[in-house]
Amino acid sequence: MIEDLSSVIEVTQRIEAPPEIVFSYLTDSARFTQWMGIGAALDARPGGRYRIDVDGEHIASGEYREIDPPHRLVMSWGWEGHPTVPPGSTTVEITLTSEEGATLLRLRHLGLPSEAERQQHTGGWGVYTGRLRNLPSLA
Amino acid sequence: MEAIANPRRRKILKLVWTAERSAGEIAAASDVTWPAVSQNLRVLRASGLLSERRDGTHRYYRVERRALGPLESILRQMWAADLGRLKQLAEDEAKGRRSRR
Repeated sequence: MIEDLSSVIEVTQRIEAPPEIVFSYLTDSARFTQWMGIGAALDARPGGRYRIDVDGEHIASGEYREIDPPHRLVMSWGWEGHPTVPPGSTTVEITLTSEEGATLLRLRHLGLPSEAERQQHTGGWGVYTGRLRNLPSLA
Repeated sequence: MEAIANPRRRKILKLVWTAERSAGEIAAASDVTWPAVSQNLRVLRASGLLSERRDGTHRYYRVERRALGPLESILRQMWAADLGRLKQLAEDEAKGRRSRR
């Protein structure tokens, strides 16, 4: 498979907890909102949809494409009303690998629009993403 | 960042996002007094998010897009910060389970 690596984000995290616990935070609505957004409705099964109220103003939504508990989750990702990253336009892939009782989490965000595409668009989104950029990082 | 944590300042940024606006236009669209608007404009300028142009006695403002950064770095930091919280939650839960055994 040929991928444009310039449009891929990869974040890894080693978590001192078994994959079963980590996976439950990805698929359970109440657990999910403890680490992302202020509200979430997740129907975590292949073809099921999700909607996340990120900050009371912006909604992320998409569809689950693959679910293999507790190892792998693939979902489409986008923001409702976003000019270049609308729902369905990008893919988030999360894999959990068991490592002596701990979990190695790898998240890849694929299919992001090129810089040229983005520059054709404007909107209030810079305000939102600017705020995200300045989140305190706990990692 | 403090500058965009404030909803009135976010409103100003939205207003100047697509076009340059005069101080008068920004004040007219705000629900607070001019000194409060002026203070918000100062904070936004100090943060580098807003640039000011003077023409005679008039002042005009527009958003400084470069200060907002490219999408990739923003998203990477969003995921890193969120997954950092997930790590903390999962580890606390695993620790709780181990200590109950």
